[in-house]
Amino acid sequence: MDGGGGAYGGNGDAWRGAVSPAARYAESGGASLTWENLTAVLPGGGGRATKKLVQGLYGYAVPGRIVAIMGPSGSGKSTLLDSLSGRLARNVVLTGKVLLNGKKRRLDYGVVAYVTQENVLLGTLTVRETVTYSALLRLPSSMRKSEVQRIVDDTLDEMGLRECADRHIGTWHLRGISGGEKKRLSIALEILTRPRLLSWMSPPAASTARLPSRSCRHYASLPLTAAAPSSPPCTSPAARSSRSSTTSVSSPAASASTSEMPRFPCPSRRNPSDHFLRCVNSDFDDVAATMKGSMKLRAEAELDPLLKYSTTEIRERLVDKYRISDYAMMVRNTIHEITKIEGVMEEVIRGSQASWFKQLRTLTSRSFTNMSRDLNYYWLRIIIYIVMAICLGTIYYDVGTSYTAIQARASCGGFVSGFMTFMSIGGFPSFIEEMKVFTLERQNGYYGVAAYIISNFLSSMPFLLTVSWASASITYWMVKFRPGFSYFAFFALNLYGGVSVIESLMMIISALVPNFLMGLILGAGVIGIMMLTSGFFRLLPELPKIFWRYPVSYIVYGSWGLKGGYKNDLIGLEFEPMMPGQPKLTGEYIITEMMGLSLNHSKWLDLAMIFVLLFAYRLTFFIVLKVKEAAAPYIRVAYTRFTIKRLERRASFRKTLAMTSLSKRHNPPHPMAIQEGLNSPMPY
Amino acid sequence: MGKGASVAVGLVGREAAAAVAAELEDSAGKAAGAAAAAAPALSPLSETLWRDRAAGGGALLGDVSARLAWRDLTVTVVLATGDTQPVLQALTGHAEPGTFTALMGPSGSGKSTLLDALAGRLAANAFLSGTVLLNGRKANLSFGAAAYVTQDDNLIGTLTVRETISYSARLRLPDKMPREEKQALVEGTIIEMGLQDCADTVVGNWHLRGISGGEKRRVSIALEILMRPRLLFLDEPTSGLDRHALLLHLFYASAFFVTQTLRGLARDGRTVIASVHQPSSEVFTLFDCLYLLSGGRTVYFGKASEACEQFFAQAGFPCPSMRNPSDHFLRCINSDFDKVKATLKGSMKTRFERSDDPLEKITTSEAMRRLISYYQHSQYYMNAQQKVDEMARLKGTVLDSGGSQASFAMQAFTLTKRSFINMSRDFGYYWLRLIIYIVVTLCIGTIYLNVGTGYSSILARGACASFIFGFVTFMSIGGFPSFVEDMKVFQRERLNGHYGVVAFVISNTLSAMPFLILITFVSGTLCYFMVRLHPGFMHYLFFVLALYASVTVVESLMMAIASVIPNFLMGIIIGAGIQGIFMLVSGYFRLPHDIPKPFWRYPMSYISFHYWALQGQYQNDLKGLVFDNQDDELPKIPGEYILENVFQIDVNRSKWLDLSVLFSMIVIYRLLFFLMIKMSEDVTPWVRGYMARRRVQNRRQRKAELAARSPSLRGYVVDAASLPADLP
Repeated sequence: MDGGGGAYGGNGDAWRGAVSPAARYAESGGASLTWENLTAVLPGGGGRATKKLVQGLYGYAVPGRIVAIMGPSGSGKSTLLDSLSGRLARNVVLTGKVLLNGKKRRLDYGVVAYVTQENVLLGTLTVRETVTYSALLRLPSSMRKSEVQRIVDDTLDEMGLRECADRHIGTWHLRGISGGEKKRLSIALEILTRPRLLSWMSPPAASTARLPSRSCRHYASLPLTAAAPSSPPCTSPAARSSRSSTTSVSSPAASASTSEMPRFPCPSRRNPSDHFLRCVNSDFDDVAATMKGSMKLRAEAELDPLLKYSTTEIRERLVDKYRISDYAMMVRNTIHEITKIEGVMEEVIRGSQASWFKQLRTLTSRSFTNMSRDLNYYWLRIIIYIVMAICLGTIYYDVGTSYTAIQARASCGGFVSGFMTFMSIGGFPSFIEEMKVFTLERQNGYYGVAAYIISNFLSSMPFLLTVSWASASITYWMVKFRPGFSYFAFFALNLYGGVSVIESLMMIISALVPNFLMGLILGAGVIGIMMLTSGFFRLLPELPKIFWRYPVSYIVYGSWGLKGGYKNDLIGLEFEPMMPGQPKLTGEYIITEMMGLSLNHSKWLDLAMIFVLLFAYRLTFFIVLKVKEAAAPYIRVAYTRFTIKRLERRASFRKTLAMTSLSKRHNPPHPMAIQEGLNSPMPY
Repeated sequence: MGKGASVAVGLVGREAAAAVAAELEDSAGKAAGAAAAAAPALSPLSETLWRDRAAGGGALLGDVSARLAWRDLTVTVVLATGDTQPVLQALTGHAEPGTFTALMGPSGSGKSTLLDALAGRLAANAFLSGTVLLNGRKANLSFGAAAYVTQDDNLIGTLTVRETISYSARLRLPDKMPREEKQALVEGTIIEMGLQDCADTVVGNWHLRGISGGEKRRVSIALEILMRPRLLFLDEPTSGLDRHALLLHLFYASAFFVTQTLRGLARDGRTVIASVHQPSSEVFTLFDCLYLLSGGRTVYFGKASEACEQFFAQAGFPCPSMRNPSDHFLRCINSDFDKVKATLKGSMKTRFERSDDPLEKITTSEAMRRLISYYQHSQYYMNAQQKVDEMARLKGTVLDSGGSQASFAMQAFTLTKRSFINMSRDFGYYWLRLIIYIVVTLCIGTIYLNVGTGYSSILARGACASFIFGFVTFMSIGGFPSFVEDMKVFQRERLNGHYGVVAFVISNTLSAMPFLILITFVSGTLCYFMVRLHPGFMHYLFFVLALYASVTVVESLMMAIASVIPNFLMGIIIGAGIQGIFMLVSGYFRLPHDIPKPFWRYPMSYISFHYWALQGQYQNDLKGLVFDNQDDELPKIPGEYILENVFQIDVNRSKWLDLSVLFSMIVIYRLLFFLMIKMSEDVTPWVRGYMARRRVQNRRQRKAELAARSPSLRGYVVDAASLPADLP
C-alpha cells in the first residue's frame, strides 16, 4: 500500500535504504500493525445491494512512523481505520488478516488508542480536570501525585492546551472551549499513557488539525505507530507525514510520491495532497463537465492535464499502475518480514494500570463533579421536586382523620411514589451523555463495568438523598402525616429507595436502547405499567393473578413502597366513619379490609425489599453490559460466517458490488437525540 | 439562449451540466440582444427571472440588483458580567452584483458575526454600530429580504431531496405559476447543486440512513437559491465534508460573472457573500473579492486575484510555491501558530525544516499587526472607502422583501401536506407511540379485565378512568423530541421568510389530526371493550372523543412549551411538571370538594383538562349503572349516588358540556402556541437587549464611581468610554 518511502517529505531519505522497516521495528520494541488482503463488505438484504467498503488492501504501520490515509469522502478511510482498531459496525463483514506484532488478537478494549471523529467528553469538567481524571484512571496506582501532575502538565503543553487548561469544555448552557481545542483534548487523552498504537480520525475542517499533526509528528518519534485518515490536509502536515497511502474507492490508488505520477504532475501553487485527491475524486468529473466551456477556466485547462481525462480513468490507471509497481511488491515483502519477526514484545497492552479501588475512587469523584455542575442532571429535578412537594403539601394541607381523609392519605402516598419517581426520566438525557463517555472509555479499556456501576451509585447517592429528603420533609410537615421521627425517616427512605430503583431501571433501559427517544418512550411506558400494578390504581388482591399479581407486582418497587407507606402512616390512627354514629375506623382495619393488604410483616421489611430490588436492578444492569460486551465477538464471527456463506451462494455477488462508504462514523445519526439539542440552543 | 435553456431542464446529470455550460457560451456569443427577449422556458442558470416575467409578461423591472455596502461596522458583545467585548472593529466593505465575495479568516475572527450583522440576525446581546446600506439605503434584511444559509442544516429527515426542494418551491413560488414551471425550476436547482444522484434519497434522521453531510449542505443552499435571491449570504458553505459543493456553487456565481460582464446587463446580477473556511487552490481562483479578517479587523479587502501576488508579496510575506494561497494567508494571521512554534522550539525535528520562510522568523501576531497597518495605508483601503462612498450616494431601487409569494392557503396546504408526510414516515413521531399506547392499553385492559358492577369495582372504575386520562395522555411527552426538530425547521424557514406563523400553527394542527385520531381510537377501543365500560354506542363514542381531545390538548401544550424551551430536557421536565399538577387537581387524587379553594380549586382545577375529562367520563361511565353493596343484604347502590357522594361530581351538568369545554381547550392551547411563537420572536429579543443594556450601564456607573473616587484609576476607564456612542 505504501511506497516504501519515495523521495518525498522533509526527511524521507533519512530512513530509506539503510534500515528496513522490519529491522527498525525489531529494534524499537513498539507495536507494529500489518494488514493483508483486507476486505470489508456490507452485505445487502431487503432490496439493498451488497457494498464493498474496502477491497484487498495490504499495508503496515511500524513504530515511529505516521501513516496517513487519504482519499475523497466515501473512499473507505474510516472503514479501514475501524477495521484496524476492531471497531467496525456490527453488520460489516471483514475478511483478511490484521496482525499486531505478527499475531492475531482482539484489538478493542484498550489495545489500540483510538481518537474518534466525534469528541465524547463530559462538558462540565475543565480541560485540566479531564486530563487529570483520565491520568488517575489509567496510570499505575504506585505513581506519586506529583508525578501524575507532571505528566498531565506535559501533555497539556504538548497539545498546546495550556491557555484553556482551566476552562470548561462546555455544555448547552455553558459556553466552553472551541471545537479544535476539543479535538486536541481528545488526542491528549489518548497520548497520555503513551500507547503503542494510535489511530485518529481527523475532523472534516482540517485547519485545527494542523497543530495535532505537528504534535503527532513529534510524538511519532517515540516508538509508536499512528494512523490518521484525514480530509485533505494543508501542505505542511502532508509534507511531514513520512508515508501516506491514498485509498480510492476501496483499493489503494497510489502512494504519495510525486515521481509516482509521471503523467499527472502536480501544478505549482497547488497543495500536493489537494492534487492527489483531485486525481482520484470522481466528484470532479461532474465539476469538470460543468466547467468545460467556461471562458474563465479555459486557459487553465490547457495547462492542467487532469482536465483531459475523467477522474474515473485516472483512478483506474493509478490503481493498475500501483498494483504492478515495485511499491506494491515492497509492501508485501515488508509485511512478510514483519510477521516473521517474533518475540519482540509480548507484554499485554491494556488500557489501565491503576488498581480497581483507585479507578473506583477516581470515577466516583469525577462523576460527582459532573453531577454537581450539570444543571440538568439533578439540580433542575431538585427544583421541580420541591415545587411539586409544595403543591402536594398545599393541596393535601393538614389532611386530618375524617372519612375522606382515608382516601386522601392513600392517594397522596400513591402520587408521591408514582409521579415523583416518574420524574426521574428527566435525568435520562444526562445519563445517556455519561453512558457515551463510558462506552468510549470502556472500549479504550480504561476501567471495568463494575467500577463504573458502583461509582455511579455512590456519586448519585448524595443527590438522590437530598431530593428525597427535601421533598419528603416538605410534604410530611405540610400534610401532617403521623408525627414522630421514625415515621418521617421511613417516609424519606421509602422515597429514596423508589427514586433509586427507577434510576437503575432507566439505566437498564439506556443500555438496551441507545436511542434517546426510544428510551424515553419505553421508560415512560414501563414506569406507567409499574404504577398500575403497584396496588394503588387496582388493589393488590384484585389484580389478575396470572402475570400481573405474581411476578410483576413483586418485582415492582411500587407495591412494596405503598405497602410500607400505608403501614407507616395508618397503623395506630383512628378515622371518622362514613356515617356519623358508627364506630371509628382503625388504621389496621383500613389496611386489611379496605386495601386488602396483610399485616404479617413489618414496614421495615417492605423497605428492605426495596433495597433488595435496587441491588437486583443494578446487578441486571451489570449483567446486561457484560453480556453485550462478551457476546459481541461471538455474534460477529457467527454473523461473518453466515453472511459469507449466503453471499457465496449468490452468483451475482461479484457483479453487484456498489462502491460506497458506509462506515458508521461518517454518517452520524441525525441529531434527534442529544447531540445537538443539548449542545446548542435554538437561535432566537 | 432560450433553446439551450429548455434543453438543460430536460436532461439530467453530466449531459445537462454540459448543456448548461454550452448554453452559457451560447448566450455569451449572442450578447445583449438575445437577452432582451424573454426566454420561454426557465433554465437553472437563467438570469431571466420568473419574477420579472410574472411582473407583467416580460416587462422589465429596471435595476433589481442588490448593492450591499457597509461602513465602520462595529459589533460589541455584552458579556454576562456587563463587560463588553469588541467582535468586529470598524469594518468597511462592499459587495456588488455579479460578484462572489469570500470572507476568510481563522476561526473566531468574526466571519459569522459579520454575516449575521449584515443579515440583521445578531444575537440580542450584540450591539451594532455603523451603517449597512442596500442600494444606498438603510435596510433591514431580516425575515426574507436576504437569503441566508446558516451553518446548521435543519432539514426534515424523512423527505427525499427532491421532495424537500419541491415543497419549499410550492411554499414560496406564486400560485399563478404553472405546475410544470415549478417542477422545472426544482429540477434545475437540483442539477445546479449537483444533487441529481441523491435526489430520491431521504435526507436521513436518527433511524434512517440518509445523504451525507456535504449533500445536506448542498440541499440547504439549493433551498435558498431556489428563489433566485438578489442577495445571498452563506455561512461556511464548505463546512460539509466535500469541497464539491462549493466548486459547483462557485461556478454558479462565477459563470454569472462571466455572463454578466458579457451581456452588460446589471439587472441579472446577484450578490453573493460567503464565509469560507479553507478553500482549496481551485476554489480560491473562483473568488472575485476576498475579505480577510483577523481578530475582527480587516487584513485585506480587494480582488482575490491580487491578494497573493501583490498585497502579501508587497507586505513582505510572499507565498511559497507548493503552498495553497489561502493556506498561506491563514498561516500568516492565525495566532494559533505562535503556540505551535513555542511548543516545537528546540525540537530537533523542526530545525532542519526551517526554510527562508519569513514567517519562521517573526511571530504571527507581529505579522498580523504588520499586515493590518500595511492594509490601512494601502491603495486597497482607499479604493474600498471611495467605492462605499460612491455606493452610498447612489440611491438605487428598493428591493421587495423577498420571502414567499405564495398565497396563505397555498402555504397552509403545502405545509400540512409536508408535515403529514413527515409524520407518517418518521417512526418516532407517532408510530412508536402507537405501539407503546397499544401495549399500555393492553396492560390496562388485562388488569381491569371485565370490571363488572361489584362493590370493589366502583373504585376500580374511577381509578381506571383516571389512569387512562392521566397517564396515557402523559405519554405524549414522548413526542417532544420530534416537536423540537419541527420547531428547528420552522425557525430556519421563518427567519428566511418562507411562511408565516399562522400557516405553521394551522398546518401542524391539521396534519397531526389523523394520527391522533388513529391512536386514540385504537387504544380507546381496546380499553373500552376489554374493561367493558358502560355499554352503548354513545358511551363508547364519548369515551373515545374525550380521549382524543385530551391527547390533542397535551400535544398543543407540549408544542407551546417546545416553542419557548428549545431544550429537550427542560421541556420534558417542565411539561411533566405541569401535567402532574393538573392531574393532582383533577378530582381523583383529591376529591373536588376537598381541594383547597383558593388557587387550587378556583382557577387551577378549572384550567386542568384532566378535571373536565374526568367529570365527563365519570358521568358517562357510572350514570345508569347499579352496583352491589358491601353485603348482599344491603340495597344496591345506583351510579348517580356514587357520582354525587363518592366522586363528588356535579351531575346537573351534561357530560357533553364537559366534552365541549375540552374541545374549546384545544383551540385555546393552539392560540397559546401561536402567541408563544410570536412572543419569542418579538418580546424575547427586546427583553434580552434591554437586560444587556442595563448591565452595561451598571458597569459604566460603577467604573465612573470608582474613577471619581481615586484619580489614579482614571486611566483604566477607557474601555467603558470607548464603547460605540450610539449604543442603542
